[in-house]
Amino acid sequence: MKALIVEDNQRVAQFLKKGLGEAGYTVDHADNGRDGMFLAVSEAYDAIVMDRMLPGDVDGITLIATLRRDGCTTPILILSALGEVDDRILGLKSGGDDYLVKPFSIGELLARLDAILRRSQNRQIGNTLAVADLQMDLLSHKVSRGGKAVTLQPREFKLLEYLMRHAGQIVTRTMLLENVWDYHFDPQTNVVDVHISKLRQKIDAEAEMPLLKTIRNAGYMLTADA
Amino acid sequence: MRRRLSASNITASYVAISVVVLILFAAPILYAWDTIVEERSTERLREDGERLARVLDRHGPQALKTVIDAMVEAQPPGDEKFILLADPALHAQEGNLAAWPQSIPDNAGTSRISFTQAGKRIDAVMMRMPLSNGDQLLVGRNEARFASARTLFWVGLVGAAGAVLFFGLAGGMLIRAMLLAEVQGISRTAAAIVAGDLKRRLPTTGETNELDMLAQTVNRMLDQIEQLIRGVRNVSNAVAHDLRTPLTELRSRLEELTWSRPGADDVFPAIESAVQDIDRIIAIFNALLRLAEIDNGLSRSGFVTTSMTRLAADAVEFYQPLAELKSLHLHFSPSPEIEAAADPLLLAQALGNLIDNALKYATRDIRIAVQRDADARLAIIVSDDGPGIAAHERDKVTQRFYRGDASRGTPGTGLGLSLVAAVAKLHGGSLKLTDAHPGSEHPGLEIRLILA
Repeated sequence: MKALIVEDNQRVAQFLKKGLGEAGYTVDHADNGRDGMFLAVSEAYDAIVMDRMLPGDVDGITLIATLRRDGCTTPILILSALGEVDDRILGLKSGGDDYLVKPFSIGELLARLDAILRRSQNRQIGNTLAVADLQMDLLSHKVSRGGKAVTLQPREFKLLEYLMRHAGQIVTRTMLLENVWDYHFDPQTNVVDVHISKLRQKIDAEAEMPLLKTIRNAGYMLTADA
Repeated sequence: MRRRLSASNITASYVAISVVVLILFAAPILYAWDTIVEERSTERLREDGERLARVLDRHGPQALKTVIDAMVEAQPPGDEKFILLADPALHAQEGNLAAWPQSIPDNAGTSRISFTQAGKRIDAVMMRMPLSNGDQLLVGRNEARFASARTLFWVGLVGAAGAVLFFGLAGGMLIRAMLLAEVQGISRTAAAIVAGDLKRRLPTTGETNELDMLAQTVNRMLDQIEQLIRGVRNVSNAVAHDLRTPLTELRSRLEELTWSRPGADDVFPAIESAVQDIDRIIAIFNALLRLAEIDNGLSRSGFVTTSMTRLAADAVEFYQPLAELKSLHLHFSPSPEIEAAADPLLLAQALGNLIDNALKYATRDIRIAVQRDADARLAIIVSDDGPGIAAHERDKVTQRFYRGDASRGTPGTGLGLSLVAAVAKLHGGSLKLTDAHPGSEHPGLEIRLILA
């Protein structure tokens, strides 16, 4: 996997290089919009991490809009110190695939990068999702584990569907809040954890191998790997 | 260069236009007057002359002289008609002119002449008419008869033009002076505000004229600016206070590591705690930014038609498992569908904060309701059966970073209720805190998020 980082702050760029490197990416770095543009069009990248505010005459938003106009479809994650709703909307409208506000944790960044790369162990055959012996029928809304039916509330179904679509990837609490509940704030209590443990009760309690794992300091992952 | 549209320019243009209009009005009158009077008077002279010629033809020269005498005698005073009969050598024979005037042209027809009679200069229109016996007849009319009317007209015209000029210029100068005074008032006030005196306002009279309305609008704008600036000051004070505490903790934690240099087993937990400290600071920071965003009214762009019932039901469903874990009951009876224009993301966060709060303090039951009040205002109500908030503390809990005695030691940024209050304000409403069960051992707290 090859990733391009466009970030002018040297320390943040160093941190990103190291983090992405350890996650298995080969990383190129540009510290201004012009170099970023040159690299993005001349090399083939799997993903681009783009700072929104860049020195010089080409800022992140302009760069993304130009790349998209030229037909570039590489997934782009925008990093920005501007976190207001309108800034977020502008970033996504210009062609970014996701928007992460600084300061951020590398875990959150990697999880979101995975999500926009749509890399997943999960296989979707027709209208069913499957992870190991966990099966979900998207049409009839039926879920079974090892052949035994599991009864889920509508929201639990949505939660599990999101986890299954991103099976093998770390999914953070923020991602769950945004995508399952459409909540764009951070509840001060551990509500998400409680929802997860209820779901775990239903799908993992009677199985030999638990699928829904907690990743410390990051989030959750639904995976058949030990 | 574009010409400046100042009060003096407007005045000058106004006066110029008035004068042009006056000329357009007077010129045709003057022209018509001159033409008509001239024609009529010439016609009358010709009639007189022809009548006298007929007298000569029918009754002879003696009769003509008698008639001329009679006409001159019968002439009413002021109606100065001139008649003169002269022989072919132009010697005066009969009539009221002493001699044949020198300035009469040789050929027949009308002419405008001046001559002197009895020491008086006279302007007259004269018609010379040769008679059948070779004599010459002169009939004329004194112009002075009309001169006074003409003079009167001119005096009137010049007077009117003068009045237009005077009142136009004076009025213009007056308006200019008033505008200048008003504008200088605004600019003095603005200068004072720039210099830091935020309390200054423009004087208003309460009348409904344009300038006063402008002054009132400017004052409302100044109110808003003052409020915003005070908000900024409050926030920076609060930020200074509430961010310094965790930053101090973080700093001491890290500084301790630099001098104590513990082994790897102790370093990593310490680093993890430091990261948690930072996350707490970020949470406070984000809450502050969100508050500022709401206060600025920027989020009004996110208003859409929202089902309040759906929003509340979702929030209840979201917090249900947590309530069960704490052995609390969340009661929500879905009311009939209620819709309103609102920002669903912010309302969800506000309602989340309220339920979060209630979950912290309730002993057994939490009730959530969406309803229209008696005055048709939409309210989202969250009530619990906890210790409640003393009446004197209620105003303070919505202030930034205020944390009641009961809440010390519980997690939270101290910004939860201020955010709810700000969201209510953004929707044109307010926040109302009362006892949920007045008089009871656990009075509880009922919070009404009232939307406009």
